[in-house]
Amino acid sequence: MIETKKLLKIYNPGKYEVKAVNDVSTVFAEGEFTAVVGPSGSGKTTFLNCVGGLDTPSSGDVIISDENITKLSGAEIIKYRLNNIGFVFQAYNLIPVLSARENIEMIMLLQGADEKIRKSRTDELLNQVGLYEMRNRRPSQLSGGQQQRVAVARALASKPKFILADEPTANLDTSSTSNLLDIMNKLNINEKITFIFSTHDQRVIDRARRVLTLEDGKIVNDIKK
Amino acid sequence: MIFKIAWRNIYRNKKRSLITITSVFAALLLIILMRALQFGFYDKLIETVVESYAGYVEIHADGFWDNQSLDNSMQVDQQLLDDIQSVKGVENIVQRLQTFSLISLGEKTKGGVINGINLSEEQKITDWNKKMVSGSFDLSDNEIIIAKGIAEFFGISENDTLILYGQGYRGMMAAGKYPVKGVIDLKNPDLNKIGLFMTMESVRNYISSDEISTHIIIGKEKYYDEGKIVEDLALILSDDYEVMTWKETLPEIEQTITADSAGGLIMAFILYVIVVFGMFGTVLMMTEERKYEFGVLISIGMSRIRLFGIILVETIILSMVGVVLAVMVTYPISIYYNINPIDMAILMGDGAVQMIEEMGFSPMIPMSISWDIPLSHSLVIFIFSLLISIYPAIKISKLNPVKSMKI
Repeated sequence: MIETKKLLKIYNPGKYEVKAVNDVSTVFAEGEFTAVVGPSGSGKTTFLNCVGGLDTPSSGDVIISDENITKLSGAEIIKYRLNNIGFVFQAYNLIPVLSARENIEMIMLLQGADEKIRKSRTDELLNQVGLYEMRNRRPSQLSGGQQQRVAVARALASKPKFILADEPTANLDTSSTSNLLDIMNKLNINEKITFIFSTHDQRVIDRARRVLTLEDGKIVNDIKK
Repeated sequence: MIFKIAWRNIYRNKKRSLITITSVFAALLLIILMRALQFGFYDKLIETVVESYAGYVEIHADGFWDNQSLDNSMQVDQQLLDDIQSVKGVENIVQRLQTFSLISLGEKTKGGVINGINLSEEQKITDWNKKMVSGSFDLSDNEIIIAKGIAEFFGISENDTLILYGQGYRGMMAAGKYPVKGVIDLKNPDLNKIGLFMTMESVRNYISSDEISTHIIIGKEKYYDEGKIVEDLALILSDDYEVMTWKETLPEIEQTITADSAGGLIMAFILYVIVVFGMFGTVLMMTEERKYEFGVLISIGMSRIRLFGIILVETIILSMVGVVLAVMVTYPISIYYNINPIDMAILMGDGAVQMIEEMGFSPMIPMSISWDIPLSHSLVIFIFSLLISIYPAIKISKLNPVKSMKI
């Protein structure tokens, strides 16, 4: 379970203050498939960054499985992210000098997993996202949709508690979007992985089972389907 | 994985990596060749001056160097010689008996240094026959060989006779007439003005002494450190002896080398500055253009230390590839020019060569093949690589992944 308590993120404190996330308290239960929506500048990405420990909130708490991650040090939060949170970015953000297989395997290598486990888990994930045949290709040799599928596999590699995806379909065409959503939906249902997206994309919103709407950093609507 | 990512990142921008490696290679090539030539010249200088007369290590009776009197001479027995010979690095040993004397002929008189030598032993340290201007070095008792400056001063050559007059051992008078057997060029303007050679027995007769010596000269194995020989000798010799290296007995040679070497180091420093700024430019660009990627890596869980490790390995690879190539190219060149010395006439012209020859030096300068040269300069480049890596280390330690991914 992920809980945010009175989460506040202020940019430029003091002068020209912007409250990107303003007193947000909510709970994400295990296995949720949630879309965080709202207009540009509503605070979706900042909210996700605070939940994922990428950004430090100005005040408030983020509690994941009884652990308040806002209290962790810089090195501890990096380790926490490695072992508990998967990230999928709008621009895929794969390491360009590594192949699809190596991008996925790298996460487990950072975790210190042994070679046998790394290899079998990488193959399993590549099969799940339908890219086993393209495992040796570098990101530049893959389409946008394929790169995002590798990014999803990479996010899953560490067996995280949940996955945060910031506009994952923003750069994808209809067919790639549909394909990616199918994969994520399957993983959510079959493996009970919690997904939280920030998105503008109606196709994603339609598939989400909970839609959290932000405006000016505040929750203005929370619909569970 | 760190090595793999680092290597592929270097390969990612091939042109830039190639330019950086080439700059390291070119600078180190120049530095190593320049220093190899410099050190080759120093070796030659030491060989000419030290090996031809002074020896790398000298042993005297304690206090002799400060007061070079026959009263500070020593008696050398076979046990002492065996002990010295047993020290590692010692190749050969000769004894000398040195004393000051007046040299006269007709109305002319001048001061000189008589060297009592053992001909066959001296021959092991230097080939005296090659230095003979006239006559022969095959000395018999009560004959003398004179340096060419003395011959010029008196206007004499072999078969002429000189009168020597001085103080003998323990206050005795020393005087005698000695026929000149030959004239020698000691290849040193100062020594040529005062040098005079007799057999050991002749000198002992001249000064009325028993079997005393003033010097034990030690010839060492090539490239063996004379400082180590001195250390080892100190362990076996009593306080009755003083042990000195050529650096102490010929400080002007050491000073000349130090002064000249400083010039070479300044040149090397200029080249290092060029290389370091070239490398720093590359690392700066590498760091700035990959901030986004660093942000991603930190976001997905790569520790900052590991990330710094990648950059460090990249920097070290970039510099060390250049270093290895430079060493691989320069060492065979150094070996070639060590075996086939460079003729300075080609580099400096005949006038300079004539001056060098008059000073007693050969104009053929070999390059030094000491591994110290490439290794020390490779180490300098390695240390600079580590220092250059401080910049990305600081950047990475302060990197905010969210901000860096907004670029």
